[in-house]
Order: sequence, then structure tokens, then C-alpha cells
Amino acid sequence: MKVALAGNPNCGKTTLFNAITGKIEHVGNWPGVTVEKKEGKVKQNLNPNNEDLVVVDLPGAYSMSPYTSEETVTKDFILNERPDVIINIVDSTNLSRSLFFTTQLLELGIPIVVALNKSDLAEKSGITISVPLLSEKLKCPVIRTISTKATNNGLPELIKAVITAGKSDRKQEAPLKLVTAKALSKEDSEKADKKRYTFVNALVTEVERKKMSPERQTIQDQADRIITHKWLGIPIFAAVIYLVFSISQSWVGPWLADIFVGWIDLLYESVASLLGEDVNPVLGALLLDGIIGGVGAVIGFLPLIMVLFFCLALLEDSGYMARVAIVMDRFFKKVGLSGRSIIPMIVGTGCSIPGVMATRTIKNARQRRTTAMLTPFMPCGAKLPVIALFAGVFFGEKAWVGTSMYFLAILVIIIGALIIRQITGDYSKSYFIMELPKYRVPSIKRATISMFSRAKAFIIKAGTIILVCNAVVQILQTFDWQFQVVAENAPETSILASLATPLAILFIPLGFGLWQFAAAAVTGFIAKENVVGTLAVTFAVSNFIDTEEFALVGGSAEINAIFGISAAAGLAYLVFNLFTPPCFAAIGAMNSEMESRKWLFGALGFQLAMGYVLAFLVYQIGTLITAGTLGEGFGPGLIAVAAIIGIVVYLMRKGSRNKQISSQIQTVKGEVKL
Amino acid sequence: MSLAKGKLNTPYIVNSVNTEHEGIREFLFALGCYPGERITIISKLASNYIINIKDARYSIDEDLANAIMV
Repeated sequence: MKVALAGNPNCGKTTLFNAITGKIEHVGNWPGVTVEKKEGKVKQNLNPNNEDLVVVDLPGAYSMSPYTSEETVTKDFILNERPDVIINIVDSTNLSRSLFFTTQLLELGIPIVVALNKSDLAEKSGITISVPLLSEKLKCPVIRTISTKATNNGLPELIKAVITAGKSDRKQEAPLKLVTAKALSKEDSEKADKKRYTFVNALVTEVERKKMSPERQTIQDQADRIITHKWLGIPIFAAVIYLVFSISQSWVGPWLADIFVGWIDLLYESVASLLGEDVNPVLGALLLDGIIGGVGAVIGFLPLIMVLFFCLALLEDSGYMARVAIVMDRFFKKVGLSGRSIIPMIVGTGCSIPGVMATRTIKNARQRRTTAMLTPFMPCGAKLPVIALFAGVFFGEKAWVGTSMYFLAILVIIIGALIIRQITGDYSKSYFIMELPKYRVPSIKRATISMFSRAKAFIIKAGTIILVCNAVVQILQTFDWQFQVVAENAPETSILASLATPLAILFIPLGFGLWQFAAAAVTGFIAKENVVGTLAVTFAVSNFIDTEEFALVGGSAEINAIFGISAAAGLAYLVFNLFTPPCFAAIGAMNSEMESRKWLFGALGFQLAMGYVLAFLVYQIGTLITAGTLGEGFGPGLIAVAAIIGIVVYLMRKGSRNKQISSQIQTVKGEVKL
Repeated sequence: MSLAKGKLNTPYIVNSVNTEHEGIREFLFALGCYPGERITIISKLASNYIINIKDARYSIDEDLANAIMV
């Protein structure tokens, strides 16, 4: 039996899906978290007779006439795959709007079971709904549910009703008799929709009793006025992000990381003593420095990442993220995007892939592609170890580096969007409308679940892709082209060094023209965590967390001794890694969302150019400030950067000429119409 | 007049949605914002309006507020 979950955005479909299937799909307190359908089997304890129950979680939709492409997913699934039963999840706190979609679903002839979700919240706001009357009027079972609660949540009753509905041969009767011809004219379908709403409005007055008018000002509205304030909005956002980075990278994170790294060191030593003196030195180095050292360096950041994800999950749950979209809308609008674009970017702070996929909620094609191109600039979870490493090694105070990278990313995105709008010459605007979810106290339990699911993914990645990459890097740096072990004092003769050196030459103007850094940048395309792993392997440092080792000497001289680069170059390398193309998996996601080769290659070229130019500026300006002179390779670098900027300016000019032409065409058309 | 010129906390009745975008009109309809329905401005921010339609709050931009006639 196939059961579909359908309902308005942010009514709690995925929360209910997780509750009945035991899965841990991503949830958040804002509309549009789910953009793809997801399948799962109902948990044993809710399904005692072991019925074959497959549940499909669908993206939220306000109606059967889709506005954005993720709403299309829902409509197509229901119409083409004909599920056996539909659980229509209705937000009890917004009955009249939710039931509009319900009336459309009831006309399909598929058995419907209504789940009256968030019934605890409705009670709290003084809303009482007569369930028997609602069920009678809608001609389908209605079950009260609270999917955030573990017990007494109505879910067993819901599943029972679903099984009964699925087994009976009764065709779903529509409460509203409408002429449902296949191809309705626009006017007729508008008339039908009006009738649906009239029916719903009458129904709601009958079944619902409210203590308070929804139009009354609440404390939440007062809070919104401050949080989304014209001037205060941005500083509040900055403070929130700073707090998140402080907790994860300065307070709780390092404390946990110290304990954790202790274990890795212990493992390293015990494996070393187990191997003893007789083992082949090449094999020993592969196991110890390549695998344990390299993977350990990455895994060492796990506690920091877990704490960060815990904080971000709390934020997502609170309803704050939707407010960030309002704060940013003003700035994004000026560069041809809208506040909608901030949602994929916030999702992208976890991982760019779901972030890029979330661009589906953007209707305008240019805005969607631009957002898909720029979302990978947000520091994702995999880039975090890189940020944490450089923040710790080069800068004692850590939280500001993370926070400033966050805001630098937003700034780069805004500049990027401006450039892309010029190049495409597409100045079309779109309206911005977004539902504001209610604030709520974030659930520690949900944040914990989210944190562990991210941690699991991180460990799996470290144990597979990153382990293999580190082993390969270790082997390539151990041997030269004659497959002889390279001499201790001549590491530059290894295969890895000779492969990476030509690339490293390009990085001289950026301050990190060493083959180790070039190799790490390349392995970073496979997974960004590899940057840390490869640096660990090539520099033979395994403990990046215990920055006391670096801090003891304090000065940049010692860091120079380990990495051979200055702090300015370190920051440039960090910037380069953040603002170059993302990992291959994210590039794949960009490809499928952009649906255009031209856009994809344009995006990759743009991202490479952005990374190079920014790193050049950071290194050269940074060196000028700290050392009073220009950095190495300024001349050739300047030529390269000037060439890049020249090309971009040329494309922008060309684009804005096209814009004038297209707007002329539009005026001509307008005249013809008149 | 357009909703953009409306006062705070005053329920208005939607008269029409004045836009060439067919999609946004249908979308607003699905939310319950169509001629004859109530709409209230809860607050005006920098260039955004927080409005109440039925039982939910939405954030809309000035362009859309200008398109909704009450």
C-alpha cells in the first residue's frame, strides 16, 4: 500500500514522516525544507500486523495548481502515481487555508485521511476544532495528531485509519460537487476555486472556535519588528552567527576536541608500538602518517562540527531563519535576487548539495541559476575544518575568523549576483512572498538527532573517500617516477610534488606557491575535508587541534617553519578554498538544477576566477599591511587578475547592451498591443 | 488604493490583484488573498510588509504590496 503525505508548506509533513517511519530526514521551521519526495516504511510498533505500508513524503504545496517546481513534484506524484491513500496534513493553527488544498485532494477519488497536526499549538492559541463535525462534512476520517510528541500523539490512530481506508473499496466522495472536466477553461477553474473557498469558509465557521483574532498584534510581532528591523536586522544576524562560532570553535568545541584528539594520538601510538621496529617503513608510514594521521586530522574536527550543527539545528527550529530571509531580501533585491535565495544559502551552510537543490523553490530561471551558482560559496560543513584549521593556526582568536568568512561569503554572493545580472542582461524582477512561521522554543532532542546524523555522514565520508585520498597522497609522495622511495631530504622529487609543482607556480602570486598547497587544493575538489587531510599528510603534522603547540611560540615565525607561508598567505589560501568551485558532488547538483551546460561552465569559470582574484587581493594587500611590501609574484599575478577582470567587464558590457535591445523589443510589443 | 498605502492593524478587503504575473495571482488565491477576503498589515519594515491573511503571517515586498488593491 502506497501512502502519500501531502499538505501546505511547514505544516509538519517531514516531522510526521520521521515520526512514523523512524527516519531522520532534515526538518526546519520554515516553508520549503523538503524539495524532493522521500520514501520510508512505517515503523513496526505503529504497524502491528505488518501491513506493507510505504509512506512517501512530498514537498509542501498550497494547491494543486503549482507555483514553484517543488509544488509540481507533489502534484505530479499524486496525479500520475495514484497513491492508495493520501494523508492530508492540516495545520490546526491555519485551518481555513489548509482546507482549500484538502477540498482539491478530496475530488481525486483517492481515499483521504486528514491529520489535524500541531493540535497542541492550536490549543495553546485558544483554537478549538470539532473533529467529528469536520470529519462528517469532509466525508473522510480526521485524526488529531502532535507529531513532535513521542507518546499520546495520535499517530497509532492515524495509521489504523490509513489501513482501514486503504483496504476498503469505497471511493472517496467529494464534499463539494463541482463540474470536473479534464480541461477546464481558466475562468471555469477560477470559479471552481472560488466555490471551494466559499465552502471552506462556511465549514470553518461551523467547526472552529477561536478565542483571539489572528489579526491582533502578538509578542511575536513585536519581536519581528526588532529582529527584522531596517538597521538592527544585520547586526543581530551577525551577533547570532558570531555566537554560534564562539560556542563551536572557542568554548565547547575545542574542549571536546582536546579529549577526542587525545584518543587519536593514543591510537597512533598504540598502532606504532604494535607495528614495532621490524615493519616495512613504507607500509608503516602509509598506515600511520597516511591513514591514521590524515584521517585523524580530519576526524579531529568532528566535535567542532557537531557543536556547530547542533547550534544551527536549534536556529532552524526556532523560526529565525525565515526572518533572515526578510533581512536579506532588501540587499538581494538590489542585485537581482530575492530573499528566497537566502534559504538555499542557509541550507548550504550544512552541505552545498541540498542547498543547491533547494534553489528549486525559486521560480525565476535566472534567479534560480544564479543562486545555484553562488550557494556553494557559503562555508559548508566540509569547509569548516579548513576554516577551523587556519583560524587556529594563524589567528589565536577563532570565532571572528569563522564569522567574517560567513559575512565575506554573503558579500561575495551579493557582488557575484550583481555581476551575473549584468552579464545575462536579465533585469526581470519577481515578487517576494514568504510565509512567516511562528517562533518556538527549539527542541534539544531534534537538534541532537540532527547533530548525530550529520556526524555519522561525516565519519562515513572520513572512513571512505578521505581515507582513500589520503592513502593515495601518501603513496604518491613516498615514491618518485622510478617507483623508488624518495630520499628524506628530497621530498620534491616525489610523484605528487612533480604533479603539483606546475600548478603551484600559478599560486605564487597568491602567496602559497608550494606543491603541498596545490595538491591539497586539488584533492579538495573530491571533498573539501581533504584539504586538511592532504596538508596533514604532506607536512606530516597530525594534530591540528592542539593549537597550544603553535601558540606556545606565538609568532608567525614558527608557523612559517611548519607551513612555510605567512599569515596573509594563510588567509589567502583559506579564501581560495572557500571561493573556488565546490566538490564534484556539489558540481553535479549544480548541473542538474541549472539544466544548462552553458550556465554550468560559466559558473565554474566564474567560481575559479572569484577564488583567484580574492586570494590575490587578500595576500597582496595583507602583505602590504603586515610587511610593508608587496608579496611575491605581484607583477604576473596582477596581469592575470587584470585579464580576468577585463573578461568579466567585457561580458558585463555585452550583457547590458543585450538588455537595452530586449527592453526595446518589449516597448515595441507594448505599442502593438495598444 | 494599494495595500502599500494602508494603515497598520486595519483590516482591509481585497479588491483586486493588479499584476501581469498570472502565477502570483493564483498563488495568492491559494493563500486566501482574493477579492472579498480580509487582509491586515501587521508591520511595515524597511521595504517589506508583514501581513495577515486568514490565520497566517506572510512577508511580502513593496512591489507586491503595490499590486494588491484594497
